Amino acid sequence: MEEGLLRVREVSKHFGGVYAVNGVNLDINHGGIYGLVGPNGSGKTTLFNIILGLHKPDQGVIHFKDECINNLAPHQIYELGLVNAFQIPRLFYSLSVLDNMVVAARGQQGDKLFNSLFRRGRWQEQEKGLIEEALDILELVELEQWAFSPAGELSGGQRKLLEVARGLMAKPTLLLLDEPAAGINPVLGKRIFQKLKDFSHNGIVFFIVEHRLEILFEFASWVYVMDKGRIVIAGQPQDIVDDPTFYAVYLGEE
Amino acid sequence: MDPLLYVFDLIVFIGIFGIVSLSLNLEFGFAGLDNFGKVAFFLIGAYTYALLSQIGLPFYLCLIAGGLISAIWGLVISLPALRLRADYLAIAILAFGEILRLIVKSEDWLAGGDWGVTVAPAISLAGASHRVDALINIALVYICLFICFLVVQLLASSPYGRAMRAIREDEVAAEALGKDRSKHKAQALMLGSAMAGLAGGLYAQYLHCVLPGMFMPMITFTVWIMVLLGGPGNNWGVLLGAALVEIFDRGTNIAKDYVALPIDPSNLQYILFGALIIFVLLYRPQGLLKESKIGTKALRLAHNGRRAFKSKGS
Repeated sequence: MEEGLLRVREVSKHFGGVYAVNGVNLDINHGGIYGLVGPNGSGKTTLFNIILGLHKPDQGVIHFKDECINNLAPHQIYELGLVNAFQIPRLFYSLSVLDNMVVAARGQQGDKLFNSLFRRGRWQEQEKGLIEEALDILELVELEQWAFSPAGELSGGQRKLLEVARGLMAKPTLLLLDEPAAGINPVLGKRIFQKLKDFSHNGIVFFIVEHRLEILFEFASWVYVMDKGRIVIAGQPQDIVDDPTFYAVYLGEE
Repeated sequence: MDPLLYVFDLIVFIGIFGIVSLSLNLEFGFAGLDNFGKVAFFLIGAYTYALLSQIGLPFYLCLIAGGLISAIWGLVISLPALRLRADYLAIAILAFGEILRLIVKSEDWLAGGDWGVTVAPAISLAGASHRVDALINIALVYICLFICFLVVQLLASSPYGRAMRAIREDEVAAEALGKDRSKHKAQALMLGSAMAGLAGGLYAQYLHCVLPGMFMPMITFTVWIMVLLGGPGNNWGVLLGAALVEIFDRGTNIAKDYVALPIDPSNLQYILFGALIIFVLLYRPQGLLKESKIGTKALRLAHNGRRAFKSKGS
């Protein structure tokens, strides 16, 4: 078997007659921050949704940790450690910020019906640890003082932060982030990336869609450029910046 | 009629419908399932109780069987129904309830058709007065209510309950966060149906009969009023709702003997119920009591010792 955490091979998906994703190949290996950029409508989010199992690809295969995940349900893919933070936050707004975090933890003993009723000791101990972890992450994203407020009371930027924090809570192997810095002021956006970089030293691999190229290119180790459903360039940020195709794609020059 | 007996009767009804309200609260309040066929599972429990007690099974086995068979039907219905969108799920289960009622109504061999069958009371002491009989019923119903309350309460404040509420809030996000939404919903429907079935058995033995006419769709809507009024997601709230709706129901029945109205007072009751739902949904959509928090021990500790937590963390 080839090395690599995530392998996407010849993946296509069309809606009606339009190919949103057209024969995409890409590899994510262990370690680092990977970027995915491209103009609006180039298929980035669709590609993410396919990887996460939210859309089924028309063709192609996706391997995660050497396991084919094409036919797994989203919740099974999640349990493997392939986790996502949505572009537009999809929080559980009537639950507290802390509950939003804890619900995301993987391998919970207490979210099975039988255990929740009859093996209470087993998950209560685990729950204590999860709450501490959650509060630690919330402290990092400066949401700690909101821990017991409903997520619906957070501002737009804070919701975005919680969405990313929730992804970290799962202790993922690979975390897909769809525009984590969008709608956030530049200073905070940069700080988020700084924190992601810290987490990536602890072994979490990031795959990030971002339009704020100046931030992404500062932190990413490898970038894929997508246009009209295809990967058109792949390389290190400094090489991408020098590539004329990149400008053609982004600025629409012929 | 003995006024005390009237009060006892009211207490039994509150208990039985309290159980059904708790079951709908589990399904709707926590898991977000629009179950508009509650009466179907109430009916299954009642008829199971009636038919099994006829062949001489002791009452507790009849009650348990009523819950079990109802649970199985809940699971069976969940398989096709959960693939549907929420509003279609509601219509599908509503239809299921009506189909069941029409089957027991028209199939005479099953349980006497329109005439129904008589059901022996669960516990009958020789020579006991009506009051003692009523008290025995109160004890039986409230033991069952206590068990159901405990189950729903424990589930609601566990990671399982947290997952259910997450699914209610946004099922796609919950699925993407590792929650198997179909499994959770099927389990909620199964457990809720078991409780409704249990309540149906209690109802059958208390009224000493089962008739198709006892299981009109209005039962479902009455239970919905109880849950919406009391507060979805709050187990104390739905019990309060059950009590208030039953008292209102009795109250209007008494009042109509004393107040002369230009229209049929029985119809007026439905109008008032409808107005009540609209009023609650417009002015207090969360119901009388707010949704209960997820109260796991660790969460309460964290909440109370937040300062201690903070100083430890930093």
